[in-house]
Amino acid sequence: MSQSNMRAKKRVLVAMSGGVDSSVAAALLVDQGYEVIGATMQVWDYSQCDIEEGNGTCCSSLDVDDARSVADKIKIPFYVINCESKFKESVIDPFVADYMKGQTPLPCVNCNTYLKFDHLIHKMRELDCDYLATGHYAQIQTENGKSFIATSVDDWKDQTYFLFTTNSEIIPKLLFPIGHLQKPDVRKIAEEKGLIVAKKKDSQGICFVGNQGYGNFIESQVGKKALDEMRGLFRRYPNGEVMGEHKGIHHYTYGQSKGFGLDHHEKMFVIKVDADTKTVWLGDESYLFGHDLTLRDMKLMDQLDEEQIYNVKIRYQHKGAPAKIKKDGNGFKVSFVDKQRAITPGQAAVIYKDKKLIGGGWIVV
Amino acid sequence: MINTFDGVYLDHNATTPVDPSLFEHVPSWMSQFGNPSSIHQASRGPRTLIREARAHLAASLNVSPLELVFNSGASEGNNTIIKAIWDRRGKERPEFLCSAVEHPSAMKAMQAIQKKGATVHWIPVNKNGELDLKFVEQHLSAKTALISVMSANNETGTLFPVANLVEMAKNVGALVHSDCVQMFGKHQLDLKKLGVDYATFSGHKFYSLKGAGFMYAKKTAPLENLIDGGAQERFRRGGTENTLGIAAMGHMAQKMAAMNLNAKLVELGQMRDQMEARLVAEIPELHITAQGAPRLTNTSHMLIAGIDAETLLINLDLDGFFVSTGAACSSGNPEPSPVLLAMGFTRSEAQTSLRVSLGWSTKAADLEKFVQRLKEIVSRLRQMKKDLDNVTV
Repeated sequence: MSQSNMRAKKRVLVAMSGGVDSSVAAALLVDQGYEVIGATMQVWDYSQCDIEEGNGTCCSSLDVDDARSVADKIKIPFYVINCESKFKESVIDPFVADYMKGQTPLPCVNCNTYLKFDHLIHKMRELDCDYLATGHYAQIQTENGKSFIATSVDDWKDQTYFLFTTNSEIIPKLLFPIGHLQKPDVRKIAEEKGLIVAKKKDSQGICFVGNQGYGNFIESQVGKKALDEMRGLFRRYPNGEVMGEHKGIHHYTYGQSKGFGLDHHEKMFVIKVDADTKTVWLGDESYLFGHDLTLRDMKLMDQLDEEQIYNVKIRYQHKGAPAKIKKDGNGFKVSFVDKQRAITPGQAAVIYKDKKLIGGGWIVV
Repeated sequence: MINTFDGVYLDHNATTPVDPSLFEHVPSWMSQFGNPSSIHQASRGPRTLIREARAHLAASLNVSPLELVFNSGASEGNNTIIKAIWDRRGKERPEFLCSAVEHPSAMKAMQAIQKKGATVHWIPVNKNGELDLKFVEQHLSAKTALISVMSANNETGTLFPVANLVEMAKNVGALVHSDCVQMFGKHQLDLKKLGVDYATFSGHKFYSLKGAGFMYAKKTAPLENLIDGGAQERFRRGGTENTLGIAAMGHMAQKMAAMNLNAKLVELGQMRDQMEARLVAEIPELHITAQGAPRLTNTSHMLIAGIDAETLLINLDLDGFFVSTGAACSSGNPEPSPVLLAMGFTRSEAQTSLRVSLGWSTKAADLEKFVQRLKEIVSRLRQMKKDLDNVTV
């Protein structure tokens, strides 16, 4: 027995992280005449953390306070929604498991998939809202009456890379109120509206890792003994020459060129991490370049044309490169026109047609 | 900017609205700014306010004014008493009895002295929220320093047989403390008759101001201050007195003595019972908690099968009904209520809890509206869940 049809204003649930982007998103929605409800997902038990630790990452308890202050300032109801167990099971655990497999995971995608665009979509319906809004740099556009996700006006900040798992059915329910703005404009609006987060620094890195670094975080999750088993050898790619011992495969990512503790004068790069043998392969940068990659768990929001050349991004800060995509067994094969550097398992390859997000999948090789 | 709200307030166990009569008095008290401990005459006004407040409160609780110590509220009072008794009696009597459903301020104070070597026996409750007196009997001994049991539970409203505990404690020389924060203004209370050695109170639970409260310590009962400082409260609590908060509590004690409190409490009970009868009749699988036990007349606690309390609470809030899932102090805490777990409910049952607590200004018409709205929200959420289950299958 929904009341949403009887209400004069459309009701929006806005995910507020306590950062400037989602704060401005909420404020703009109020200006646009929506009935706005703010919510922060409590994803991690911060009672154990040092109070300074969360500063500047995207979901610490101080950030919850900031989100609440903004909500009070723009006079909207605000709630903290507990998602700790869901976050652990769908973001933290896979993150740790990926590292233990020698991969470089991308937890923000899982957070969007399972928390923002599943748990919060569910909350949105439970709270009888018409829309869910976030502070992502992305846009919702329509073509022949069908909604799709498009890149943001600010190329540098565009976050559609993290949105490739979004279900097409929920796209009409989403609002990205700042996707048409440049970051400096967002800060300007925050300042004009007197939001306390106007000058807050952008979140960097992974919110739940904090200042302790990946190695320590993984150790805190799996224990020291499991990590000792991650130790192994550095070998020269491709001849296999043993170059030394490393402190665990979870410390290395493809393309990395520092932090080996080896006494070699030549510039070496991580070419490959082999979780089965715990081998980290080092070699000349030229070995990092490849034409092809395979994707698993492909999510598509549109028809894929195997003859079409798409723009494919293989990491968040990658500009994208032209490639063709073909179905290949259970997965998909992406073939780039030009060789790409450091194609990294665990990261996503995300497919665009011009500004339109088509889909993406997880890189396996 | 002060937020004003427009809605039906049904969370009087979290805090009560400031009594309208205080809006007239507080401004005049504000001119009495002097430090009550000063030598000069500016101290006379505030000192008089405090003295009168103490007299009114003591009279309404049937104790001596000197047995009351003003402080910041019951959290401070609970900490002061539990820690003082460990310090004063812990060597000879290292054992404490405490109910498993106390307020966190008492629980955590107990855990603090546990770390210092005290043995704490947590008294269980049954599914109706009733205290296991047999357990008390079994664990009470000449080693027991203190029994600490609240008079009324903040979440379920269950009344505990504190007078019985006093009788039992007498035999072994144990002291008895009762957190009475949910009693004053919500139930008749005569501390002398109750016979406890200590009791703790917060002003904001009986229509006074926040940040002021008091504790009762019987003349013969040992006490140590938690806060070192000046000679205030006869060295039992340092810090310049909260004159406004204290005067407000005294005023409310006076008001309660003059009004027919009992009639008001009976009236609330009738409204509460009517509301519960309608809820049970109109919302399937709604269970009223502790209904079989003696309860405060203003409190109604329920479990609504399959309904996530957090979601329900937000929905009600958005519609202007202010209720609670349990204790206000635990809100935002994902853990289910320890009170409900202690009563033997499962974690998932405990996550479906809703507390409605009535106050002096609650109207039957408001409860009508509340029942209607709750019914609609529950049915919508249940329908959504059903639809979702069908899709998944």
